[in-house]
Amino acid sequence: MIRLRRLFLAPAWIITAGLFLAPLGIVVVYSLLTRGAYGGFSLPWTAESYTRLMDPLYLPILLRSFWIAGASTVLCLLLGFPLALFIARSGARRNLYLSMVMLPFWTSFLVRTYAWMFLLRDTGLINSLLIKLGVIHDPLPLLYNDGAVLVGLVYSYLPFMVLPLYGTLERLDGTLLEAAADLGATPWAALTRVVIPLCTPGIRAGSILVFIPCLGAYLTPDLLGGGKSEMIGNLIQNQFTTARDWPFGSAISLVLMGIVMALLFAFVRRDREGLL
Amino acid sequence: MNRRSFLWAPAMLAGCARDRRPRLNIFNWSNYIDPQTVPGFEREFGCRVRYGIYESNEEMLARVMSGNSGWDIVFPTDYLVKPMRLNGLLAGIERERLTNLRYLDPAFERPQWDPQLQWSVPYMVTAAGIVYTRKLVPAPTAWADLWQDRLRGKITMLDDPFDVMGACLKKLGGSINESDPGKLRTAQSQALEQKPLVRAYINAEVRDQLVSGDVLAAQMWNTTAQQAIDATSEIAFAYPSEGYAVYPDAMVILRESRHQDLAHKFIDYMLRPSIAAANALAARTTTTNSGARKLFPESFRNNVTLYPPEDVQARGEWAQTMSPETQRLRDRLWTEIKSS
Amino acid sequence: MATAVQMSPAAVQPTGLRPGRLLSFYAVAAYLFLHLPLLILAAFSFNSSKFTVWEGFSLHWYSAAFHDAELAEATWNSLIIAAVATIVATIVGTFCAYGLWKRNSPVLSGSLYLSLVTPEIVTGISLLAFFQAIFRFLHLQLGMHTVILAHVSFSIAYVVIVVMARLRTVDVNLEEAALDLGANEWEAFRYVTLPAIWPGVIAAALLAFTVSFDDYVITSLVAGVDSETLPMVIYAIARRGVNPVVNAISALIVVGLGGLILVSERLRGGRTT
Repeated sequence: MIRLRRLFLAPAWIITAGLFLAPLGIVVVYSLLTRGAYGGFSLPWTAESYTRLMDPLYLPILLRSFWIAGASTVLCLLLGFPLALFIARSGARRNLYLSMVMLPFWTSFLVRTYAWMFLLRDTGLINSLLIKLGVIHDPLPLLYNDGAVLVGLVYSYLPFMVLPLYGTLERLDGTLLEAAADLGATPWAALTRVVIPLCTPGIRAGSILVFIPCLGAYLTPDLLGGGKSEMIGNLIQNQFTTARDWPFGSAISLVLMGIVMALLFAFVRRDREGLL
Repeated sequence: MNRRSFLWAPAMLAGCARDRRPRLNIFNWSNYIDPQTVPGFEREFGCRVRYGIYESNEEMLARVMSGNSGWDIVFPTDYLVKPMRLNGLLAGIERERLTNLRYLDPAFERPQWDPQLQWSVPYMVTAAGIVYTRKLVPAPTAWADLWQDRLRGKITMLDDPFDVMGACLKKLGGSINESDPGKLRTAQSQALEQKPLVRAYINAEVRDQLVSGDVLAAQMWNTTAQQAIDATSEIAFAYPSEGYAVYPDAMVILRESRHQDLAHKFIDYMLRPSIAAANALAARTTTTNSGARKLFPESFRNNVTLYPPEDVQARGEWAQTMSPETQRLRDRLWTEIKSS
Repeated sequence: MATAVQMSPAAVQPTGLRPGRLLSFYAVAAYLFLHLPLLILAAFSFNSSKFTVWEGFSLHWYSAAFHDAELAEATWNSLIIAAVATIVATIVGTFCAYGLWKRNSPVLSGSLYLSLVTPEIVTGISLLAFFQAIFRFLHLQLGMHTVILAHVSFSIAYVVIVVMARLRTVDVNLEEAALDLGANEWEAFRYVTLPAIWPGVIAAALLAFTVSFDDYVITSLVAGVDSETLPMVIYAIARRGVNPVVNAISALIVVGLGGLILVSERLRGGRTT
């Protein structure tokens, strides 16, 4: 039993150790150094990057990021679950429908974001249509605010929610729903009390795959939010580019990762061990 | 496994027909060269050129910082030359190998960032001003015009800390390279005052919104503005009366380059008036080559956006390298502005 | 409501459980939401004007895209990188999920979590620094190989999570039963568990491909001079403002990859499991 398992885990171990843990170690080292005179990093060793984070300037940024990431996750769940359910029940055409979900995401992320900018602009498609139909007189400010950022994030990460949900829903045993119906349950009750509890692994997986990238997102808030509200992703990005302050950027990243890991462990530890 | 070999086969075949000519790898801003320049160089010097492009200094620097990116020549803006040099990224320029240095404009023969031209050779110049649509009446002429309430939600500023702070500092009558914390904070308060009026902090992409009328005026670089003006006469550019930032770009050779001789030849080639003129015309930019300027058609030589009259030029101020403390303060001020 | 009663144990898709009308209606709306930006992109790829004001039908953006050698090379690079990275990540990730499902290894699953939680730019910078350190001794440069390694590195966690979610729905006793009947470990995996999780593996591979094909931040940091990918080229073009060449490329990719999927669906004969 153990031998095959070891063999199966070996490649993952090698790749993780070499291509993730070792580089991460380098980031930890960076976070304890000082910004080089004109960028990059240099000695002396210092924990100053971490103490700098205590500044009250950074907490609202963090909270905002959590709020937007959380809202995106919930929206993805609400929108993605029925879609995953539909695909799982589509019988022979399942893979086709699944691929249709992924298809838009094989165009560039940036291009899709620009398409949304075009849709949401004051002179964009949505406003033009509404004005032509006489529903409104002045264009609605659909772009360059938090709402636009949410639309962009949900749009970008929906497949990350749909795929794991589909993975668990596809396995769902129809006889359980039969039994529920026989016992007098309405379709809604069958859904909430049979289907959803059985897909908890998928819901958990999907939520994590959406929440975390949304937390670190910087391109979407920049483009669709007009660069007017700083999220943690923007802050980190800024440190590694314009500010050229690698130690500070590393420190922020490690602190963010630590917070999320702590949340994940609190969230997951409740039942089984292991990855979800 | 069949599929994989099918994919690799063309790549292997391509590798077999290997070209033995030396190859120079050049990394430049987008739209910053005439399309015929590189092929011309390849033909004349019997080599190949790999020409890559980038959109921002940060992008270029991130790739180049590693010290083994593979590039030979890059085009940093002037204030980055010193940091790059101090980080050991640059190979020196040997002036003796550059026969065409004499064609450089006198203003750029002893630039502040590299007086002996030991590390860089000036290329082209950009300036930051105000681009606006002709629908906007009266037309903006000063940075202060971007603080008007009537433009609420219809103006954008560049998503660049140096440019935004520069505009604020100029509006208050100061220098764009200011390092005094008190003056910087005062400038920041101007930016905070303006923020509710600003539609977005955005760069070249705003051009489309200017044309469609979503945006009436924007802080923008003159080369980008000129490219928009070329496309439609509805747009115009103004150099603010309080003054503006000027960004010369320079060619540098990276220390990791294994073709430093060829690199020098390329720089010398770029300094030829005919080549420099072609580049400036194609890229719609301001050249640092006075020999090239003589070759321009009349209309281009007097282009108001790229070659403004003397009195306008006098208001321009070159961007300089900041000290680490100033950089840190400005970063913080920028974060405060963005997250307010 | 289901009409056929299924008495066999799990593993069979009940044929009676078709999506209801409400669900189908919702699915149509959802697909419209997903594909609307695409349709707009495609529409404007035929626009003769550069700006987003319709000015007439034209194909010249397509011819511009076809004649762009840099674009063709970048597309080819992206496809190769995504294909190789997907295959490697899916295999390694599936095996890893299986191993962790049997018995967890806290360090490994913790590291996988951590790799998910790391912001892209940090992953990119750390890999860059790592390669830089190694290359001092190996006299190598950044290139396709570094991009592929980077993509495999960040894709594995995605594959593990998706496959693991699927594994959680599989009955552990099935393998036990197979072993009791005389199969060895590998056979138990190959003939019992793997078929059961196959849709999950496919979903994971699809996700890995997408993540790899679409990546910009990490790729741009670790790519060498010759390994420009499609997102990098598109990013460069799009940053300068709206350019319908980008729309044309996107439309071509969607049609190309979409066509590939349709063909593979036909070839598979539409098997349900």
